[in-house]
Amino acid sequence: MSTFIESLKTTLSGYATYRGREGHLSFLLHRITGLGTLLFLIVHIVDTSWAYTNPELYQHAIELYTTWYFMIGEIALVFCVIFHGVNGLRIAYYDMWKPAGWNIPGQRSSARWTIAVSIVLWLPAAAIMGYRLLHDTLGWI
Amino acid sequence: MTAQTIRRVKTPRNYEITAWKWMRYIAFALIPLVWVHVVLQDVFVGVHKIAETEGGAFLYAIERWGNPVWITYDILLLAFAFAHGMNGLRQVALDFIHSASAQRIVSIVIFILWLVVSIIGAHAIIAAALNNLAGAG
Repeated sequence: MSTFIESLKTTLSGYATYRGREGHLSFLLHRITGLGTLLFLIVHIVDTSWAYTNPELYQHAIELYTTWYFMIGEIALVFCVIFHGVNGLRIAYYDMWKPAGWNIPGQRSSARWTIAVSIVLWLPAAAIMGYRLLHDTLGWI
Repeated sequence: MTAQTIRRVKTPRNYEITAWKWMRYIAFALIPLVWVHVVLQDVFVGVHKIAETEGGAFLYAIERWGNPVWITYDILLLAFAFAHGMNGLRQVALDFIHSASAQRIVSIVIFILWLVVSIIGAHAIIAAALNNLAGAG
């Protein structure tokens, strides 16, 4: 057990203290957005199966998704899905078509571009879902 | 000009290399599959409309599983997205767990969780599809 705690500490402190700037941030964001999406996916597969096996429970789950806290979660989830995809495409592009681009200046700018493109793609979706949150869920507008 | 060295490496054929390649192939398929799914269900339709489906929200899903295109789409989505996600979880977990025996246990637990949840999802889609088929015939 103590070796497990040690390896956990080593990896976590590496994640926290490594000073890789944009590349480091991209790596962390890729993992966080991936794990966040997976967490929702597990719940989503199970609750979607209720549409067939337990319609009442499915209704309850979908109504839970219309609450303000799940709506905020949904808006965050869409960012996770977009960022993870755009960043994944960036990594695959450099690996497969432009391996010479794996250098620090190139990666700094491409990592910044990835975040910018993700936000631009996310904003319209966030606006529409944000409107539903304010209009349908909260009734503020 | 900086000098460039091109180094070609023969990668060994083992489970991890194959899994890694499939992570990437599946990722390419997931970009259109997941993005279209999210834009359609979360942005265009939205959970509010699904919740207010006449006769119950479940009919929204069940009706989609009467269409061969959506049945195929959802099966692919389930198979690809969840396998990609669970193998990603395994990769992250193995970064934190260094003992070979613990890595083995974690891999097996993740595999079983993947299998069970995949069966739960696939069962609902296939059973609903067969039910729709029987109802239509």
